[in-house]
Amino acid sequence: MPLIINSAPDCIVHHEGASTKDLADFVLTNNYKDCAGFGTFMPGSTYGPDGTGAESLYMILTWVGIAVMVFVLVYWVIYENRRLIAAVAGYSPATPQEPPPQPGMSGETGVLR
Amino acid sequence: MIGSLLAQVTSLKDAGSAAGQTQDSLVIGEQFYFFTVVLMWLIHAGFMSYETGVARKKNALMTAMKNILTIAVVTPTFYYFGWWIYNCNQPGLPIGPNSSDFTGAACQGGIPWSDTFGPNLTNNINLVFFLAFLLFSWTTASILSGAMIERARLTAYLILACILGSVVWILDAAWGWSAGGWMTLRFGFHDSIASSVVHGVAGAFTLGVLFNLGPRIGKYTKEGLARQFKPHNLHMTLLGLMLIFTGFYAFYGACLVIVSTSFPGWATIYLSPTTLGTIAMVITMGFAGGFTGGYFGSRGDPFWTVSGGLAGVISVSAGADVYAPTLAYLIAMVSAFIVPTIGDFIEKKMRVDDVVGAVAVHGSMGFLALFWVGIFAAGYPTGVNNVDSSIWGQLLGVATFLPLGFLSGWVASFILKKLNLLRVPPEVELMGLDVAEYEPLIYLPEVAHAPEMVVEPDGTIVPAEPVLRMEEASIIANGNGRGPRTDREVVG
Repeated sequence: MPLIINSAPDCIVHHEGASTKDLADFVLTNNYKDCAGFGTFMPGSTYGPDGTGAESLYMILTWVGIAVMVFVLVYWVIYENRRLIAAVAGYSPATPQEPPPQPGMSGETGVLR
Repeated sequence: MIGSLLAQVTSLKDAGSAAGQTQDSLVIGEQFYFFTVVLMWLIHAGFMSYETGVARKKNALMTAMKNILTIAVVTPTFYYFGWWIYNCNQPGLPIGPNSSDFTGAACQGGIPWSDTFGPNLTNNINLVFFLAFLLFSWTTASILSGAMIERARLTAYLILACILGSVVWILDAAWGWSAGGWMTLRFGFHDSIASSVVHGVAGAFTLGVLFNLGPRIGKYTKEGLARQFKPHNLHMTLLGLMLIFTGFYAFYGACLVIVSTSFPGWATIYLSPTTLGTIAMVITMGFAGGFTGGYFGSRGDPFWTVSGGLAGVISVSAGADVYAPTLAYLIAMVSAFIVPTIGDFIEKKMRVDDVVGAVAVHGSMGFLALFWVGIFAAGYPTGVNNVDSSIWGQLLGVATFLPLGFLSGWVASFILKKLNLLRVPPEVELMGLDVAEYEPLIYLPEVAHAPEMVVEPDGTIVPAEPVLRMEEASIIANGNGRGPRTDREVVG
């Protein structure tokens, strides 16, 4: 079946089906034999000695993650501040309450007029 | 001729066998770190339980939420730049001979878009090793969290947790707790299970934060005497500590490097040989000595007895790879014996409101442990340059890590304070953080407003409400006597 979307790296070989020849100690390795970093958007191969070789898509994905992380942290501060303002707006210092009427207490409650 | 062929076949077999053994070793190492990560979650379940139990009922849920949300922020920050800091900053300051440059190969594993920092069929170790370090990062943040409870903003804590967990501690780890760290390579700095690297630095950072955060409302009388707020569930606190202790075995294990293809199979982070049994014995004797010292140092106080176990372990962690069990027992006992006194000094003399004693237990013991190594474990070759550990190397560690931790905590919290983002408004503190955040959703009214007691400096137990109301009146009107009430400006 043709792929509509292919976000896997190029190192992956697409076979029609697996065979027993693919098995290497119970791990199907043939499709991945040319791969190292094989995650979504990853380069598929290892880096060069100077650290080059990152796929631009993978780099973009990483920077999107960093941007989201920073945005969430900043928004969290703003969001909490709003909630605290709302909590303070609804705050009223408790006024001393009289004890509830009890047997033997003087007062108007229960006094026959 | 036949002999030559046989020799070649044997050589090939050996080579095949060696390659197979190396693969096996990597897979075993991967499994080992995976399970340490799983077990280290107990440390965080423990910190949550510990701190929640210490909190007053009106702040209990917010305290627990803070611990859980540590994971939400420290994980991505440590992923995006913490691991880079560790892998790419080990050479540190370019001083002294034997400088080495690790920025080539080792640095690659720390770049967030590295091919080894995601699914990779040729590298089993980088991700799982990162995860072990990530759990250490959560631990540093958790050390901070308990000290700040009941008056700090959630987001202030989360920002400080990111700075401590993803920048400060991992920078000191790069310098003094790695195979290529400049402090070890050049000065023989020795802190094998991270006494100062994790606990000491986190404690110093916490102290810097507490100076700016200030005490909880009502903690001190006008004469400067300390009141005690009653923990709402001490049993929960003790359970939390037991969970932390359990997780600490995994923490200890994760501090080692496993290489099953060579004898003895285990090495410290400095690649010096040790065994798993050695460090497990030291931590266990550390607990035994620590509980004993804490008990007698506090005259049987449950909180300090159990905290003494933690203090004892931290005090022996720096030399855990070489200490004899008896030595660990004695060092832990002596160290834990003085912890309650240090805690009292911080609370009553310095007037620093450290709710869980983090500065005393983690901070002071973390740095004391370095001195113990300088005395009782001097002369051990440490690191790939085989520089002997010494009191001078250890003092260098104190001189480097103490200001690094303290100043970074103080500066970061000072900035938050100036932005009015450090403390909750006094009204919220008085009604309870849970009441402000969760009451309509979580609590029955009678639970949120359960009677609260406070212990006056003379030991009498009185209802807290009149005391706090009195404080409230003066704070809301004039500030709290320890500086202007800046948070009022935000919410007013």
